[in-house]
Amino acid sequence: MTEPTRYGRAQGGARKEDERFLTGRGRYADDLAVPGAAHAAIVRSPHARARTAAIDVAAARAAPGVIGVFTGADLVAAGVKPLPFVPGFVGEDGRPARSPARYPLTPDVARFVGDPVAVVVAETAEAARDAAELVAVDYEPLDAVVDVRRALGPAAVLAEPDFGTNVAAFHAIGDAVRVDEAFASAAHVARIDLVNNRLVPNPIEPRVCVGEYDTASGRYVVRLPTQTAQSTRNSIAASLGVAPERVRVIVGDIGGGFGMKTFIHPEDALVAWLAKACGRPVKWRADRSESFLGDTHGRDQWVQAELALDRAGRFLALRVRLAANMGAYLAFIGPVVPLRAGVRVSTGGYDIPLFRFEGRAVLTNTAPVCAYRGAGRPEAIYAIERLVDVAARELGIDPVELRRRNLVPRSAMPYRNGVGETYDVGDFAAVLDRALAAADWSGFDARRAASRATGRLRGRGLAFYVEWTGGEMTERAVVEVHGDGRVVLLSGTQNMGQGLETSYAGIVAEALGIDPARVEVVQGDTDRVLGSGSVASRSLFVGGSAALAGGKDAIEKGRALAADALEAAPRDIEYAAGRFCIAGTDRAIGLFDLAARQPERRFLGEATVTFTMPSWPNGCHVCEVEIDPETGEVRVDRYSAVDDVGRRLNPAIVAGQVHGGIAQGIGQALLEACRYDADSGQLLTGTFQDYALPRADDLPAFALGAFEDEPASGNPLGTKGVGEVGAVAAPPAVVNAVVDALAEFGVKHLDMPVRAEDVWRIVAGGRAPR
Amino acid sequence: MPKRLLTLAVNGRRHEIAADGHALLVDVLRDALGLTGTKQGCDGGECGACTVLVDGAPRLACLTLAASVEGRAIETIEGLARSGRMSALQQAFHERLGTQCGFCTPGMIMAAEALLRRTPHPDEAEIREALAGNLCRCTGYVKIIESVRAAAEARP
Ligand code: FES
Ligand code: FES
Repeated sequence: MTEPTRYGRAQGGARKEDERFLTGRGRYADDLAVPGAAHAAIVRSPHARARTAAIDVAAARAAPGVIGVFTGADLVAAGVKPLPFVPGFVGEDGRPARSPARYPLTPDVARFVGDPVAVVVAETAEAARDAAELVAVDYEPLDAVVDVRRALGPAAVLAEPDFGTNVAAFHAIGDAVRVDEAFASAAHVARIDLVNNRLVPNPIEPRVCVGEYDTASGRYVVRLPTQTAQSTRNSIAASLGVAPERVRVIVGDIGGGFGMKTFIHPEDALVAWLAKACGRPVKWRADRSESFLGDTHGRDQWVQAELALDRAGRFLALRVRLAANMGAYLAFIGPVVPLRAGVRVSTGGYDIPLFRFEGRAVLTNTAPVCAYRGAGRPEAIYAIERLVDVAARELGIDPVELRRRNLVPRSAMPYRNGVGETYDVGDFAAVLDRALAAADWSGFDARRAASRATGRLRGRGLAFYVEWTGGEMTERAVVEVHGDGRVVLLSGTQNMGQGLETSYAGIVAEALGIDPARVEVVQGDTDRVLGSGSVASRSLFVGGSAALAGGKDAIEKGRALAADALEAAPRDIEYAAGRFCIAGTDRAIGLFDLAARQPERRFLGEATVTFTMPSWPNGCHVCEVEIDPETGEVRVDRYSAVDDVGRRLNPAIVAGQVHGGIAQGIGQALLEACRYDADSGQLLTGTFQDYALPRADDLPAFALGAFEDEPASGNPLGTKGVGEVGAVAAPPAVVNAVVDALAEFGVKHLDMPVRAEDVWRIVAGGRAPR
Repeated sequence: MPKRLLTLAVNGRRHEIAADGHALLVDVLRDALGLTGTKQGCDGGECGACTVLVDGAPRLACLTLAASVEGRAIETIEGLARSGRMSALQQAFHERLGTQCGFCTPGMIMAAEALLRRTPHPDEAEIREALAGNLCRCTGYVKIIESVRAAAEARP
């Protein structure tokens, strides 16, 4: 169904949305002037688990500028409901998955360090913060568990003792018996036991939300940076106990989301409730330290994987057992990430006929864990790509050769993987070859010798990935043609830096044959447009395809109107480059003139598209690291990648997406680790001092190549998701390179982030740890 | 805290504002002067989003008392464009896709502006070092570096 034209390509690299960002006129939630707004400050639990027996708010209430002080008990008494999470999961006992009820403020027990306990509303943010210090909470500390391995151990402390288990949800896939048989008869079994480190997404814009309540209409307005306006609205309404139509969510510019700004956080509902309770607009803005404490975190999985191979190095079966730390409450789609999203690509790009998966979503006393760029797929690809390298080393087969022997051949497409997912198209071997050429794989020995000569160790690693993108496969678009010469596209997806205003305007402009400068894109206002938002790298192929269909529908609607205006039959009306004309004549009417003649000086096209085939971007990333044996410091020296993300509408935007993902992936591999003290449950990494984001001098330039020979078959643009691929591929590419550099010391595996201290110990001691 | 009258010269204009003695420059710019282009991304000194120029040198507005820069020339992102035209540096960020979500961008551009004023033709390492205090979570810095290089190359 791919169309020959490449929609939106004509526009080149520069983006429509840039000018406001470059001149300081972006419209981020914290930039809104909200007349009469009061400010909220949240009292957060300093304990990993504690009963909040008594809360004395008298002193805070009496403090200067304070408008109100509220606790979880106040909210419950007022009828506030817990935040919802997606149904459909079951526990190990087969009963529906359980989470402790999460209210915007916890009324009884604080379940992690940072759990909101009370809120102060005051005239200024400073007054609110000062008064929050005066709220006296009588905490009764309780035993807590933060580490997922400990949480599953014998006699583990229970994060929620009433549940009798820390396992909130369990999911298994595959025929255990046949997989066991394959392992029993395999010539070789490779094993890995690893931790996929917990990360804090940390978009540079912290979360902000502003709630308003209109007494006359009984409606709430919440302004916040969310990737999923409609879902967030529905969840806010559910928590407030009102119909969704009584809540309007408005989104301005978003300073980065990365999956963290999806779905509901407690403050989103809280500001709405406070606005009504206080009779004022109420604004809350997270400090960075609150972002570390209270934003949903990402990753944090313990994965044990085993690969069975035959004598020829062919993969026979894969067994994956994982435990995903979900934190103290199931976030909206928390269990989806490890149990449904990631597992789809557990077998990666390889033909592995037999697969067995057992996944446990585990409650602990930590911040809730949800989506972070890649959401499950980085964890899955990291496991298989590390495992393949382990197998290669154990068998003495070159890691490239082992991959080549097992990659799904192009001739097998469409290919149903061992998990049961169908890849539509792909030429994995060609992508691999191109990536190796781009990386000058064969020139490595000379570079290693050069590093040696300066006393440094050098290693190389590669990772081949396949990623699933799409999520909700339906999206709607409305295309309004206005008499004043504008076209307005309404879309339920969400721009957050990925250039959708530009890409969508290009698509609609090309469909209509007009200048993209005429196209405005409206998103993120639930009174104007609903949709599934921007998650799972779905926006271009689902939302963009809807925009294309909406543009075409506008032509059809216009054709009927033009037939009226020109007194001809619709079938005789032709459309091209902004004009409807009667075929074979010079009688014509312009698109915008036609709109100006309509009752509201406009007409609409609209379309809803639904796809069945997700997109399967794939690629190969190659990394070379250099290690300074004196310090153990690991430096990424070369990084190159070839990605098949289908057709690229705007190559510069695509490259930017890949760059950002790679940087986050290198961050995960070498720098970033969110840590809680195993005993006290205190968050040990609560600032950018303790939690290192990659900085400009930590990274090299990345050399990117694109593979466009296998456009996606499932959407008319031929495009595949690109937003997450870098974060999927980089961690295994980097760690494979580090392990390669340290192979002479007997190192088989190092958990992320690889720390200079560990590397130094290995090199200094001349051997591997453990 | 008693308020006092501050006179600040921002983007070539004098502003008189009543502010607390301990008011931070970032808050005065954003809240009192409505110059919301300057961003705040951390609790102090860790992200660079609030970078402005004071007498041509980069300063973190979140760590600067407004009262301490009275009488000094303060420049923010809003002051770079001239009569509605983006500066060459802003234009380079536009052409090279040096911005994605835009949140780090004002601070990044001000830090780069300061670099180019003191080192008109920096090499890549100098650019990376000058921008190392400015966190960007979107770009991996690749196109930011390219943007700054392009602006430098276009200079006489
Ligand atoms: S806000 Fe000033 S350095 Fe982060
Ligand atoms: S462009 Fe988003 S943080 Fe830099």
